[in-house]
Amino acid sequence: MTSYFIRRFLLIIPTFIGVTILVFTLTRLVPGGPIERMLSEAAQAGAGETSTISDYDGRGGSMLSDEQLEDLKAYYGFDKPVIVGYFEWLGKVLVLDLGRSTRYNDPVWETIRDRLPISIFYGVCTLIITYGVCIPLGIFKAIRHKSVFDNLTSAVVFAGYAIPSYVVAIFLLTAFAANLEWFPLGGFVSDDFADFTLMEKIADLFDHAALPLIAYVAGSFAFTTMLMKNSLMDNLAAEYVRTAVAKGLDFRGAIFGHAFRNSLIPIATSFGNNITLIITGSFLIEKIFNIDGFGLLGFESLVERDYPVVMGILVISALLFLIGNILSDICVAIVDPRVKFGSGESGQ
Amino acid sequence: MNAVLARLKEKLALDPLTVKQFKRFRSIKRGYYSAVVLGVMIALSFGAELLVNSRALVVSYQGELFFPTYGDIIPGRTFGLDYDYETDYRELDRLLEERGGAEGWVLMPPVPYDALENDLRAGVYPPYPPSVESGHYLGTDSTGRDVLARLIYGFRIAFAFSFLLLLCNYLIGIAVGCAMGFWGGLFDLIFQRVIEIWNMVPTLYVIMIVASIVVPTFWTLAAVMVLFGWTAMTWNMRTSTYKEKSREYVLAARALGASNPRMIGSHVIPNTISVIVTFIPFSIAGGITLLTALDYLGFGLPPPTPSWGELLSQGTSNLGSPWIVYSVVTAIGLVLVMVNYIGEAIREAFDPKKFTYYE
Repeated sequence: MTSYFIRRFLLIIPTFIGVTILVFTLTRLVPGGPIERMLSEAAQAGAGETSTISDYDGRGGSMLSDEQLEDLKAYYGFDKPVIVGYFEWLGKVLVLDLGRSTRYNDPVWETIRDRLPISIFYGVCTLIITYGVCIPLGIFKAIRHKSVFDNLTSAVVFAGYAIPSYVVAIFLLTAFAANLEWFPLGGFVSDDFADFTLMEKIADLFDHAALPLIAYVAGSFAFTTMLMKNSLMDNLAAEYVRTAVAKGLDFRGAIFGHAFRNSLIPIATSFGNNITLIITGSFLIEKIFNIDGFGLLGFESLVERDYPVVMGILVISALLFLIGNILSDICVAIVDPRVKFGSGESGQ
Repeated sequence: MNAVLARLKEKLALDPLTVKQFKRFRSIKRGYYSAVVLGVMIALSFGAELLVNSRALVVSYQGELFFPTYGDIIPGRTFGLDYDYETDYRELDRLLEERGGAEGWVLMPPVPYDALENDLRAGVYPPYPPSVESGHYLGTDSTGRDVLARLIYGFRIAFAFSFLLLLCNYLIGIAVGCAMGFWGGLFDLIFQRVIEIWNMVPTLYVIMIVASIVVPTFWTLAAVMVLFGWTAMTWNMRTSTYKEKSREYVLAARALGASNPRMIGSHVIPNTISVIVTFIPFSIAGGITLLTALDYLGFGLPPPTPSWGELLSQGTSNLGSPWIVYSVVTAIGLVLVMVNYIGEAIREAFDPKKFTYYE
């Protein structure tokens, strides 16, 4: 078992290198990289100030000499072949240096670190709400299978699952923020947040968080609820529960003493993946509500061709994803002693 | 000859299990009615030109009948108007009515607007709110295009797109997944890593890169999405092939000397069909969701293609005109909920769970 997990951890390395090499190569192949973008910005800014200066050197009014251009390329490491550039980048990553953002000129790690608390706040809230609601709801639905309550909540939960969360987000924004004006139009906190008292701060935070949280949660309800319900029903139908009931155990005892604990196993299998969810969130929801989180940073850096940030985010999310998968397996192994990984068919 | 016919009949006859599954599907009301309604909607959308169009269905002019819906444009001079470009049938309708209907009449489709035409009026700026009077039943977007028309044509495009994705993804997925599960070993291990790497590459990123090189069209967009979409089905097929492969009947076939293609083709795949069928509705829903998200971000189908995502992005930039967002959200919601109900019903029909529960 231990050797299995060690092997799994070692397999992270080739996957990680594969992913980063692929995306790194892509960033080099694409036209319109950060240098071109900076040049065109410089040209626009220059044209705005002094319209008389223009050098027709075929680079669209570039203000830089060839020498400066080379310096700039060298500064960002664009002057080397892809593979050399990649290994230089990888070497820096190994000493935890993700480079500098070409857009903000700040270290990538600081840029990312500034956004993390926001994403973690939403991630943790979503997690608490999802598990806090889904597990009791799933239990209740399993006990009252085919009742009106069960059918009604199924319909609602499935509708939430079917409609993509960004559509829910857009609807909530339009209806409750723009037209009814019950909630603010977006952002993480108000502009004058620093002046508020503690109570006002908390109120302000949740005022802003209410709509995005509903959008986040709407989609994740169905999966966990139905998983909980179905696995509990599977277990209720199992022989050992029947035996327990036959031996005189009351229904409550049969559910919570026997069936419930075993039904948590499937829930545990997906628990490890939450680590990705907590950090990365959904860039669409962050974009719609203009929340300055990790997801929005990733999207903006893609659009702005801020490659060091793109690569930095990729490093973090790839590692989290791969570790999350293994964590899921460890969770399964912990809650279910019958599971033996590493013997026979090991791919999940 | 008769023997051949009999064999053909035997081949075509529905397997009793399939009949049973279909009956079970019909008995799940929520899913069955969704399937009926969605089927009708898809069928209608293929004749959308007859329902939503700026061209008239029938024009009767000086005793002659015209059917302008399909075919070449009919210049305005044909109907005694003073221009050579395509006839404005709504205008013609008004004109003929003013003249008392003696010259002829025009029968317009229920929604007399096309998805691409800008209905601009002097003095007022779009988006116009919904009004029955003007024929914009769901209002217009910010360039004066009819929302209902764009919804319906967008529905057709989104569905066609998802079906195409589904077909390609499943073909690749079933082939590769079966091979992975059946042969296992090094081949499986290598492809597992490939898929793992492939899944990590942000699809959006690749689409943006493609968009920066060529203007994405329906086909290039579909190609990029297939490039990154085949992994899900491959993974499922791999797992179910693994399961089936270790069953006794495959072992028996092997003992009888069946070749690999035969074991895969007539034993493994038919037994994994329930997995494949169960995933279809969810793949369709996924395709629509992805396309809409891309269109919303502006990396999807090129304008002015009617699309739900483009309407959503217009809606969010015109929050004062909520009818745009409400219409699209209702449309997406209804369609995707129905697709998911169908999926849920199919799953239940193929894999009925009989539960014990205590009253």
